[in-house]
Amino acid sequence: MSSYFDLTSGLWKWSSPVWLLVLSLVGLYIIFHHRALGKRIVFFAFAMFALALAYVSPIGVLSDGYLFSAHVIQHLILLLIVPLFLLLSLSESETEALFRHPFMNRLGSVMAVPFVGWLSGLGVMWFWHVPSFCNASTENYALGVFRDATFLLAGLAFWWPIFSPLKRFHLSSSLAVIYLFSACLGCTLLGIYITFTVISVCPAFANPVDRLGIMHFLYDQGMTPATDQRLGGLLMWVPPCSLYVCAIMVVLKRWYAEMDQLTSPQTAGTTSSLREAQS
Amino acid sequence: MTTGSVEQSELTSLEPPVTSTLLLDWVSTLDHKRIGIMYILTAVFYLAIGGFEALLMRIQLAFPNNTFLSPEMFNQLFTMHGTTMVFLVGMPVLTGFANYFVPLMVGARDVAFPRLNAFGFWMLFFGGLLLHFSFLTGSAPNAGWFSYVPLSSKAYSSLQGVDYWIIGLLIMGIGTVSGAINILATIICLRAPGMSLQRVPLFVWMMLMQAILIILALPALNSALAMLLIDRWLGSAFFDPTRGGSAVLWQHYFWIFGHPEVYILILPGFGMISEVIPVFSRKPIYGYTFVAASSVAIVLLGYGVWAHHMFAVGLGMYADIFFAVGSLLIAIPTGIKVFNWTATLWGGEINFNTALHFAVAFLLQFVIGGLTGIMFAAVPIDWQLTDTYFVVAHFHYVLIGGLVFALFSATYYWFPKMSGRMLNERLGILQFWLWVLGFNMTFMVQHFLGMMGMPRRVYTYADNPGWALLNGIASLGAVFMAVGTLVFLWNIGASLLRGKIAGDNPWDAFTLEWATTSPPPPENFTVIPEIKSRRPVWDMNHPENADWKTEKTPADRGIRPNLAKLAAWAFIASEAVFFLLLLIAYVIFNTRSGEGAVTSSVLDVTRTGIFSLFLISSSVTFWIAERFLRAGKQSAFVFSLGLTILLGITFLAGQVWEYAGLLTNDITINTNLFSATFFTVTGFHGIHVTAGVIALFVMLMMGIKGNLTADKSHVFGAVGVYWHFVDVVWLAVFGIIYLGLLQ
Ligand code: HEM
Ligand SMILES: [Cu+2]
Repeated sequence: MSSYFDLTSGLWKWSSPVWLLVLSLVGLYIIFHHRALGKRIVFFAFAMFALALAYVSPIGVLSDGYLFSAHVIQHLILLLIVPLFLLLSLSESETEALFRHPFMNRLGSVMAVPFVGWLSGLGVMWFWHVPSFCNASTENYALGVFRDATFLLAGLAFWWPIFSPLKRFHLSSSLAVIYLFSACLGCTLLGIYITFTVISVCPAFANPVDRLGIMHFLYDQGMTPATDQRLGGLLMWVPPCSLYVCAIMVVLKRWYAEMDQLTSPQTAGTTSSLREAQS
Repeated sequence: MTTGSVEQSELTSLEPPVTSTLLLDWVSTLDHKRIGIMYILTAVFYLAIGGFEALLMRIQLAFPNNTFLSPEMFNQLFTMHGTTMVFLVGMPVLTGFANYFVPLMVGARDVAFPRLNAFGFWMLFFGGLLLHFSFLTGSAPNAGWFSYVPLSSKAYSSLQGVDYWIIGLLIMGIGTVSGAINILATIICLRAPGMSLQRVPLFVWMMLMQAILIILALPALNSALAMLLIDRWLGSAFFDPTRGGSAVLWQHYFWIFGHPEVYILILPGFGMISEVIPVFSRKPIYGYTFVAASSVAIVLLGYGVWAHHMFAVGLGMYADIFFAVGSLLIAIPTGIKVFNWTATLWGGEINFNTALHFAVAFLLQFVIGGLTGIMFAAVPIDWQLTDTYFVVAHFHYVLIGGLVFALFSATYYWFPKMSGRMLNERLGILQFWLWVLGFNMTFMVQHFLGMMGMPRRVYTYADNPGWALLNGIASLGAVFMAVGTLVFLWNIGASLLRGKIAGDNPWDAFTLEWATTSPPPPENFTVIPEIKSRRPVWDMNHPENADWKTEKTPADRGIRPNLAKLAAWAFIASEAVFFLLLLIAYVIFNTRSGEGAVTSSVLDVTRTGIFSLFLISSSVTFWIAERFLRAGKQSAFVFSLGLTILLGITFLAGQVWEYAGLLTNDITINTNLFSATFFTVTGFHGIHVTAGVIALFVMLMMGIKGNLTADKSHVFGAVGVYWHFVDVVWLAVFGIIYLGLLQ
């Protein structure tokens, strides 16, 4: 059996093609957002960091046929973390410039329809965990790339009605809360199902091909396929829901700060002056 | 804004005709203030009963090896004590306060649905009677307030006690959900102009959160109760492990309801404290936004931590870790609120009267209860302490030290408004000290008893070193609380007769209920002050320091959804949870392979598929009918509605056909888990379709008589929300059961 040190070095995959994607995104960002401010740059850097991590680190390596739970973490990063921080890294004015184009504006409005984002966000999660699709996408490289692309795009669509840089695409606060809460419910159902079902959701992980010779090590750590799937189910459930709750808090914070309407003429008008005269 | 006020005036004309006797007056009342008082009195009545049960238990436990009560009696007492205190004291008293004060605080003339309100109260009332009727059969429920299976199954509880428990809770549950829908609709739809949701008093906000919790959590209990009842009466095996069922499933479903339930009980307490502390510190609350938003977080997280009641079950390490972390997370928004209240007191012009005494004691005691809760969230500590008196100490610190103290505080604060007279402060302080002493004597020592290993729910204990002394102290404390309660009742009685006249606003308080007379007239307000901040009455009385001059709050944009539609949506949200849990049970029991001979393969998918098409097309014809109604085409409307009913009935006929086929093949609900889940899910769905058909029929009659016209189309629309919902549920049922998706 190999030593722990060997194992850990085998668990990183520095030659992952994800760097190409990262590089091109950085290029795009520099071209379109060269005037970005500090906070946004940090968000962008974080998105890129998370994106790279999803493939380069042990998460990426283990999710490639070894651990279902690592595979879930990878999905969550692609679906929830990277798109969220990408959206946050866009500045309002420069995105506005982009979305002034009628086609883009159209696209933005379509993505702002709650059903679209909701269905794509939850849909990809459910779809790619139907046993046969899950298996196929783990075993077939091209399909796997396609799957990861759908995760990124669906994630953008999911967060768009909440965190789009352009306020006109935002959902109203009450709808946004329902949107996020029901999304949490959807994750919960899938997570519960995966956690408690006796079916192997992604059979490819039930008997992995031991490329790196780490199977025994994982089993020794208690990561048997059943445990692994249960952990995956819990990961699919608790972290997204926690993130949604945080997002709901952001929405509420915005809602309590909705002050611009305050100066609307009718409400502040006549009656108040009457009352002041009275008292 | 407009729709709200129009409907409101429509509703106030529902006053019952003038009646002769006082009793009849109260029994038939639709006034929210009277119904509120009836809720509170019911709660006080059951508090006496539940308190008496507690005293009996404390007498039994006062000495080691005591024989004052038999073990059987003791079991019945702790079961009835817990059930009574949660369902017949805690929830009703809060609903009562909400009924009385929410409409006043939002500047409405009445609640949204006065009749539904009365209905909810009487369901609760009779459900409670039924539950207690079980004493007369000689066997009250005795399986604990959470009635774990297998103890509560027929095999181990063959007498009727558990049946009374189930039916009583189901009836009370219906009442509670109706009450919650009513409060929700009142807050969302009937706020006075100017009161944006961001400006409602925190008590109102907390009641809104509570209503949401009730609407979405109670159906979990109802589904579990329904399955237990079917197990007990019809011999199915949902919860019977020897026949493939799952006892742990009961625990899951119970606590999916049970954990939100503890927040159902404490959130209104938070609301009361958030009214009392600012008024008696002469300051607005510190961090309104935080207190309100963090309650939303509590509501959401509250659904995700139920399994911390099940650490001892053996859910597996990862599940334990996640639920432990979730429980710790939920402690954060709870804990920080304590800082908000303290910061409100800080530097305030404190008026340290009885109400504030209770509020401050609330803070201290709730912190202790919260800390022991956090201890329990650590799994190994829970394994050590679960089912000991440490648990009893924990939840009494949050429920009595928290909720009951908040209720006393609120009573001293609001009694002048409800009665027009002040409570006596001297007696109040006396009661306060009796309760603080008694409460802490009784429950502080139980922490130590728990750590020493004294198990809860055991009728007596051996004379271990120290146990007699500590239990003696605990029992003595109960006497203090009982005496304190008598002082309180005396105070109420005496003050009602001779108390100082209160006037409209004795505390110079901030919120709208103080802008009317004490007690308020039936129509609540003659004029509603202008609302430009969170403290309209303060603004009115102190115009030079008005809040809106310094602190801006989001203005009212006048959005008031339609009452009937909102209620329909709230109702189906509740129903959706109910069906969801039944369907989850189906999936759980039918994905295991080789579960007996009878499986979904006995179903005729094609035939049912065809009948499903009838149901689905009835949604379409309904939609068409709704359009005709709105366009004023009465006869076309009647025709398409009639068609809808026919399609619905055809579907039901198909279901009868299917049932008949199964039954003649000797496939009944108790055959195995497939048949049990199948009949339960489709049966409940069938009941819903039937109810829908009846509702449609009523609409049809109204349409034919010409009473249902375009201007009332929103009522019809509300029925439609329900009808479409029933269809959507069927789609899920068909997909999961007949097509076997997910298997
Ligand atoms: C600060 C956050 C809280 C945490 C982390 C927490 C945690 C827990 C845990 C882990 C248990 C299970 C103990 C066991 O049976 O082994 C428990 C029991 C209980 N808690 Fe809490 N709790 C908290 C606050 C509250 C509040 C605010 C209430 C009610 C207002 C409450 C009411 C109860 C009740 C009634 C039980 C006992 C249920 C039973 O077994 O009969 N808790 N709590
Ligand atoms: Cu709990």
